[in-house]
Amino acid sequence: MSALAWFIPEYLLLAGAFLALFAELIVRREGAGAAAGALFATLAALSAVAIGVRPVAFGGMLELDQVSVTVRVALAVLSAVYLLWLAGRGMGPERSREATALVLLATLGGMLMVASRDLMVLFISIELATMPAYVLMGYRRDDEHTLEGALKYFLLSMTTSLVMLYGFSFLFGIAGSTSFGVIAATPSAGLLGAFSAVFVFVGLFAKMSAAPFHYWAPDAYAGASPASVAFVSTVPKLAGAAVMVRLAVLLAPGVPALPTVFAVASLLSMLLGNLAAFPQSDVRRLMAYSGVAHTGYMLLALSAGSAAGNAAAIYYTIAYAVPSMAIMLLAAEEGTAVDDFAGLAARRPAAAGVAVVLLLSLVGVPPMVGMFGKLVLFTAALDAGRLALVLVAVVMSVVSAGYYFRILRAAFFAEGRTERVARALPASVAIMALTAVTLSLGVFTGPLLRWLTAAF
Amino acid sequence: MLLSAIIFLPLVGAIVTALVPKDRGDLARWIAAGVTTIDLALVVFLALKFDVAQGMQFAEKVAWVPQFGISYNLGVDGISITMLFLSALLSVIAVVASWKMETKPTAYFAMLLLLEVGMNGVFVALDFVLFYVFWELVLVPMYFLIGTWGGPRKEYASIKFFLYTLFGSVFMLVGIIALYLQAGTFDITAMSGLGLPATFQWWVFAAFFLGFAVKVPVFPLHTWLPDAHVEAPTAASVLLAGIMLKMGTYGFIRIALPILPHAANQWAPFITALAAISIVYGAALAFAQKDLKKLVAYSSVSHMGFVMLGIASGTAEGLNGAIAVMFSHGVVTGMLFLIVGMVYERTHTRMIQDVSGLSHQVPVAGGLLAFASFASLGLPGLSGFVGEFLTLLGAWKSSVPAAWVVIAAIGVLLAAAYTLSMVQRVVLGTPSEAVSKITDLTRREVALLVPLVVLTLTVGLYWNSLLRFTDPVVTRIVAMLAGA
Repeated sequence: MSALAWFIPEYLLLAGAFLALFAELIVRREGAGAAAGALFATLAALSAVAIGVRPVAFGGMLELDQVSVTVRVALAVLSAVYLLWLAGRGMGPERSREATALVLLATLGGMLMVASRDLMVLFISIELATMPAYVLMGYRRDDEHTLEGALKYFLLSMTTSLVMLYGFSFLFGIAGSTSFGVIAATPSAGLLGAFSAVFVFVGLFAKMSAAPFHYWAPDAYAGASPASVAFVSTVPKLAGAAVMVRLAVLLAPGVPALPTVFAVASLLSMLLGNLAAFPQSDVRRLMAYSGVAHTGYMLLALSAGSAAGNAAAIYYTIAYAVPSMAIMLLAAEEGTAVDDFAGLAARRPAAAGVAVVLLLSLVGVPPMVGMFGKLVLFTAALDAGRLALVLVAVVMSVVSAGYYFRILRAAFFAEGRTERVARALPASVAIMALTAVTLSLGVFTGPLLRWLTAAF
Repeated sequence: MLLSAIIFLPLVGAIVTALVPKDRGDLARWIAAGVTTIDLALVVFLALKFDVAQGMQFAEKVAWVPQFGISYNLGVDGISITMLFLSALLSVIAVVASWKMETKPTAYFAMLLLLEVGMNGVFVALDFVLFYVFWELVLVPMYFLIGTWGGPRKEYASIKFFLYTLFGSVFMLVGIIALYLQAGTFDITAMSGLGLPATFQWWVFAAFFLGFAVKVPVFPLHTWLPDAHVEAPTAASVLLAGIMLKMGTYGFIRIALPILPHAANQWAPFITALAAISIVYGAALAFAQKDLKKLVAYSSVSHMGFVMLGIASGTAEGLNGAIAVMFSHGVVTGMLFLIVGMVYERTHTRMIQDVSGLSHQVPVAGGLLAFASFASLGLPGLSGFVGEFLTLLGAWKSSVPAAWVVIAAIGVLLAAAYTLSMVQRVVLGTPSEAVSKITDLTRREVALLVPLVVLTLTVGLYWNSLLRFTDPVVTRIVAMLAGA
């Protein structure tokens, strides 16, 4: 099989994106585009599994190692499930077919991001992954808050992209090449190396909404439609985490202070994210700040600076993305205020039960995947001697229980409206699938952990 | 396979019960009663096949996450089997005590069954991760039991309960990981007798102490308990006091002492002091209560203090006594909560001033309340005496400061004082207005209490019925403590 064939999943996503735009001309039904997109994303996931691990391709530009295979499958699966939900529910008053195309293109960008072995390819992939995200966040054209949030996101993200690009230019200057292989062979030691690493990671911190570069996220999320947030807060974040791990591995030899940088960002993100999430009454803002906190946990794993820490960072981000997407999809169905969840147990018992599993996983209660994420993460961090940070992390996870339980308390113990949203089978299947993954990835966590541990 | 069946049969029951149509509460409770009874039968069968001379038995071990040394690892010894029996018995009683549950019965019985999964699991898990899974699993159904079916301040009480316990257990998780990094495995039995460095032991013990002491609860970490108990429905109170508090002390005996014996010896004086304070402080607070349920709740703080006293003594008498108090407290406090609940159903008040003269109006209820109270205050011949006597004896024999033991002994007097004054006001006297119209216990209610009465007498009169299970294990633990 030639190297061209290894990227069939990417072609499928691209084809799906174009097809989605026109699918509703063939099948005259709102949602047909999203359904077609879900099908193509599923095919992409399956083919990515079938293709598996491959050596460096295209003159060292792309590589399908164990990390990229894991993440590209996860990205394709997540966007397939997301599009399935979209096929059932749509994007509110707006059409869903453009959203489908944007989702598939962003996923395509994410998949190329994790496969990149070259700074230029990486930068272009990052832009490909984030451009659709700007549009998705501003999808509701007539809403001022949406536009304000999207503009904030766009401006900040572009600025930090440029900062990152500036860092890339230093790396290129030191190594004389944009290829990861050459950069790894010429460690960028000294002040220059440190500067370039800081520039690169500031850009990534902002995209991952890590403190202190997180401030766009709450406003952008709170303005956007919850269905957009469900995608933008999870899929690009997973791709970003993988890239962060890769660059950390690449730059660590020349920059001994790198784990400390991660540790500081981790501390700030955990404290700020969890404490700021506590008083929020809007689920989107709550999840924005809790997203900051979870990025903080992921950075804690990176601050270990070890193979186990790198594996834990990716495992943890998957453990975060799956339940987080499902909770935002539920919020898209039920309403974006915490109070909108009131009475959920009475009107939709299954949805309320699902929310228990998802939120407990985010807290880190077993047997869901979140607890195993925390277990591998704390193990790696403690092994690297980060006891103080781990103690902050565990105390903060109790704080997180405080705010996640506000949603559960509303759902189970408060009186609310009794009429339920119209049933939509694809959407229910999508949320159930995410819940099943949250639960089963915890109970049967062995294979994924083994696979990821072997990747580093 | 037997242990797995005992753990997961209630899980199957919980899933089936949750799927029963909402208006078929009768079906749900029969399923719950059937499942818990079969589970109890399995535990009794296990106990009959159990050989007290052997160590861990009925072991099951399957690799779970091999590269991290995590396995699905179960087994019972003499200590776990007594707790497992208590858990299975009180689960049956909790289901039958809730026979008239009208509010969302299917969800209610599903939660009770889910709770049993976690409780049974904690007492047989021999892998730290598995232990932690069951330990945390217990919180979720209890949160919903208090929050949905509780009293007026249920939401506050349920989240307080959850956050307190979670706070303790996350530190335990850090301790578990620290142990794993030293030992390279999560196997609990493989970790005992490793001879870990002293400073390391001290810190890990501190982490475990936080996790377990919140659950017990030890003064000053006890403040969640009165809230949770008062707001919880009767069956949840029974399980909370009867089983879940014991998970904390079980953790000390199963994990903290054998794995960290050196630190356990170092911590013993501190724990003894906290135990003595818990005993006296709990008793004093119980004395001051006007609400019957709160009185029982604070008396639990006092009784669990005796358990901690026995554990800290590090002697065979003390540890055997600690387990005897755990067992007796589970049975007797279960009885007390049940009777208080039965009286409350009839009078709609739990205020001591409004309830008096039970023995005139309802002699069976009054008599049983008096019996349970005597067992609780440690009357010789009933189960409460065994443990209190042995823990005090063990503490006296040990090297901990004698002053604390004397203070703890004063707690026995205080227990007599608050219990007898309650009995005097509630059981004796002329029937109050609230009591004057009520009817006596039904046959179902009496049948519920009879097994507990029998157990109280059996353990009280024939100590060896309990101690023959625990003593061989205790001897091994004491040897480890002495060797450290």
